[in-house]
Amino acid sequence: MPSRRRTLLKVIILGDSGVGKTSLMNQYVNKKFSNQYKATIGADFLTKEVEFEDRLFTLQIWDTAGQERFQSLGVAFYRGADCCVLVYDVNVQKSFDDLNNWREEFLIQASPSDPENFPFIVLGNKVDVDGGNSRVVSEKKARAWCASKGNIPYFETSAKEGINVEEAFQVIAKNALKNGEEEEIYLPDTIDVGSTSQQRASGCDC
Amino acid sequence: MTSDSSSRSSSSDEEDEKSTGKKPNTNSIDNSLDAIENQLSSISFNAPIDENTATFADYNHESVSEINDGSLTETVGERRVISIGESSSSRGTGLWTKNMEVEVEMDGSMASPSSSGYAGERGSSGSVSVTSGCGSDGVREVRDNGSTAGDDGVNSLDTDRGQWTSGKRHADEDDTSVSWRKRKKHFFILSHSGKPIYSRYGDEHKLAGFSATLQAIISFVENGGDRVKLVRAGKHQVVFLVKGPIYLVCISCTEEPYESLRGQLELLYGQMILILTRSVDRCFEKNPKFDMTPLLGGTDAVFYLLIHSFSQNPATFLHAYTCLPLAYATRQAAGAILQDVADTGVVFAILMCKDKVVSLVGLQKASLHPDDMLLMANFVMSSESFRTSESFSPICLPRYNPMAFLYAYVHYLDADTYLILLTGSSQAFFHLKECRIRIETVLSKSNVLSEVQRSMSEGGLRIDQLPVDPSARSGSLFHLNQRKPSPETVVGVGGPAGLLHFIYRSIYLDQYVSSEFASPINSRPQQKRLYRAYQRLYASMHDKGVGPHKTQFRRDENYVLLCWVTQDFELYAAFDPLADKAVAIRICNRVCQWVKDVENEIFLLGASPFSW
Ligand SMILES: Nc1nc2c(ncn2[C@@H]2O[C@H](COP(=O)(O)OP(=O)(O)OP(=O)(O)O)[C@@H](O)[C@H]2O)c(=O)[nH]1
Ligand SMILES: [Mg+2]
Repeated sequence: MPSRRRTLLKVIILGDSGVGKTSLMNQYVNKKFSNQYKATIGADFLTKEVEFEDRLFTLQIWDTAGQERFQSLGVAFYRGADCCVLVYDVNVQKSFDDLNNWREEFLIQASPSDPENFPFIVLGNKVDVDGGNSRVVSEKKARAWCASKGNIPYFETSAKEGINVEEAFQVIAKNALKNGEEEEIYLPDTIDVGSTSQQRASGCDC
Repeated sequence: MTSDSSSRSSSSDEEDEKSTGKKPNTNSIDNSLDAIENQLSSISFNAPIDENTATFADYNHESVSEINDGSLTETVGERRVISIGESSSSRGTGLWTKNMEVEVEMDGSMASPSSSGYAGERGSSGSVSVTSGCGSDGVREVRDNGSTAGDDGVNSLDTDRGQWTSGKRHADEDDTSVSWRKRKKHFFILSHSGKPIYSRYGDEHKLAGFSATLQAIISFVENGGDRVKLVRAGKHQVVFLVKGPIYLVCISCTEEPYESLRGQLELLYGQMILILTRSVDRCFEKNPKFDMTPLLGGTDAVFYLLIHSFSQNPATFLHAYTCLPLAYATRQAAGAILQDVADTGVVFAILMCKDKVVSLVGLQKASLHPDDMLLMANFVMSSESFRTSESFSPICLPRYNPMAFLYAYVHYLDADTYLILLTGSSQAFFHLKECRIRIETVLSKSNVLSEVQRSMSEGGLRIDQLPVDPSARSGSLFHLNQRKPSPETVVGVGGPAGLLHFIYRSIYLDQYVSSEFASPINSRPQQKRLYRAYQRLYASMHDKGVGPHKTQFRRDENYVLLCWVTQDFELYAAFDPLADKAVAIRICNRVCQWVKDVENEIFLLGASPFSW
C-alpha cells in the first residue's frame, strides 16, 4: 500500500451558457468573482484539494462551455466522471427547462454503470440578482424537479455573494466519494506455462 | 540563443548523404502545418525558426486531420482548438471544435506562469494551459543559462543515488511552478477519463488539471475518429500514445526524433504492464472512474531509472540487448547450468551483470524479447529490495504475454551480478531457490563469477585496440595478457583515424556491442549527446516513409557519423569532426571484421532468445 493514498474525484459542471458555472468554480477555488462575462471555450480545468472525514481529496473540476456549439465535445469530457453538477440561473426560465437535456445528454454520453444512482447535484444560481425580484423559477419548482429525478440534492447559490458555494461543493465531494466506494478489484492472471510455453502471446510483431 | 551548441546538431554545416533518395516532398498537409507554425512563430517569438523545427516531418501526417488553410487566419488570434499558452482575452485551457481541425497555437505571454486565467493566486488550483511546460520563452531561458541545461534534469546516477532510490524528485512542483515548466522532458501517464497516473516531475494530484487537459485533447481528436500523435509548438514536441484506456504523453524540447520519443513512451507503457499486466484494462472497462495510482505505489524509482536510461542505454532505441564479453568457454559453462534448471520447468533463466547479459536460456522454444529484458533488468536494478535478499515477485513480460503474470525469483550473486528465474507457478519459490543454489555452486566452482567480475573491470571492445589487420590476429579478446585494466585510466587515446566510438548491432542475434567510451567522450553529457546522435541516425535509417538506407554519412560540429546497414548488421560509428570520409569507411570495415573475429566472446551465440 502506498503511503499517501489520496483520492481524485472528477467533477463535471454543466448548464446553459451564462448561468454562472465558471463564476461558481472561481468563487469556490479562488474566492473571486468578476462581473465581466467571458464565455468559456471548450472547457476549463481546475483542481482543488479538500479535506473530508480526515482524508485528503483532489477535486478535478471540469468547467465546460454552455454554448451550443461545444456540445459535440461531450464524450471527450464526461467519461469517468465521479459527479455531475447541473447549474441553472433562477432568473432565466429556459436555463431551468434545459436541465433535463443536460442530465440526459450526460447519462447517454458518460454511460455510467448505474445511471439511476449516479450522483448529480443541482445549483440554482444568481439568487442575489435584484434582491430576488427578477426570479422566475421558484425554489419549490426546482426542488420538485430534483425530487422527481431521484432526489438530487439542491442548492440555491450566488457566485457573486459567495452564498452556499462552499456548502454545495462539500456535498459534491461527499456524493462523488460515496459513488466511488465500490472500488474495482484488480485481479491479474497468471500464465499457465504448460500451454503458453509453446506459443507466445500475440502482439509480437518483431 | 544561437550560442547553444551543446545538445543539437546544427543544420548549417551538416552534410547529409543518403544512398537512396531524398525525403519526399512535403505534401499539402505538411505545408499547411508549416504555414501555421511559421505564422505562429512569427507572432509569438519573432524569431526565425530553423529548418529542423519548421519542417513537419513525414511521420505524423497521417495522424493529423485535415487542416484547411482558409481557417488559419481566423484561427490565429482569437479562437483556438487546442490552445497552448494564454492570452489576456481568454482564460485557461480551451478546447474548441470546428471541422475537426487540429491546430496549435502558441502565445508569447507564456513566460509568466501565472498568466493563465485564475492561476497564480493559488498554487494548487490554477486553471491550466495546455502545454504549460512549452513556453518558448521558458525554453530559451533553460538553454541560455547553462546551469539547468545540458541535461534534461537528470544528474548522474552515481552522484544522485540517494535521491532516486527514494523515488520521485521535485514532487513539490506543479504546472504553475517555473521550475516545472523549464524541465526539458516531461512524461505523463493518465487514464482515459483524465485522471493522472504518473508524472515524471511534480505531484500527480496537483497536476490533475493539466492531466484533464491532455485527456481532453486526446479524446477530442478521438471523437472525430482520428488520433493525435504529435503536436509541435516551437521547440517543443508533444507526443501522444494511446493504449486502450491508458494515455501516455511526452513533452520534450530535446529535439529527439518523434519516433524515438514514441518508442520511449512504448517502453514506459511496457514498464507499467510489467508491474501490473494489462488486466488493468478490464478495471477501466467495468469502471471508467477507476483510479490506478494506488496500484503503482512505490514504483517511482522504476520509472525514474527507465527514463534515465533513455539517454544512457542504447538498448532503449536499438531494441537489442548486449552481453558481457566473456571467453567462449566461460559463457558455455554458465549456459550449461542454466539449461539444466530450465529443463526442470523454469520458463527463462537469465544471468545478468548490471544491464549486460552473461547467459540466458529459455524453456523449449519460449523466447524473450530484448525490450522485455530491458524492462525486467530495469525493474530489478531499480528496486533496492532485490539487492538485500532473495525475492519472489510477480512480473509480466509485455512482449511475451501482456495479459498475465509470470513469477520471478531474483537473487544477487554479487554486487552487480544477478540471477532471474521465471516460472508460471506461484508455488515454485522453494524449487527455484534450490535451482539457484545449484547454479551458484557451479558458477563459483567453475570461476564464472570471477571471470564476470574481471570482465566488468576490464571493459569490452576498446577502440585503441582495433587491430590493424583483424583477421591476422587470433580472434580473441582474452588471450592478450597485455590487456590493460580499467579503461578509465586511459586518457587521450582515441581510435585510429579519429574513431571515437561505435555500436554494432547484429540483426539475427538481437544483440549489439558497443565500444568502451574513450577520450574525448568521457563525461556523461558527452556520452548522452553521442547516444542522442545515434538515436537520430537510427530513426532516420529506419524511417519507413523514406525507404531503407544502406549507408549514411553525416558531419556536424561534434562528429562525423557513419551508419552502415546490411542484412546482417547495423554499424554506427562516430569520428572526429575532421575525419576523412574514405578513411572512416576503411576503419568501419576493420571494425566489422574485428567484431566478427571476436563474436563468440561478445555475443551469446546459438541461443538467440528471440529469433529462433
Ligand atoms: N449577479 C450575479 N451574477 C453572476 C453570478 N454568477 C455569475 N454571474 C455573472 O453571469 C455572467 C456569466 O457567468 P459565467 O460564470 O461566465 O457563466 P458560464 O456558465 O460559465 O457561461 P459559459 O462559459 O458561456 O457556459 C458573468 O457576467 C458573471 O459575472 C451570480 O451569482 N450573481
Ligand atoms: Mg464558463
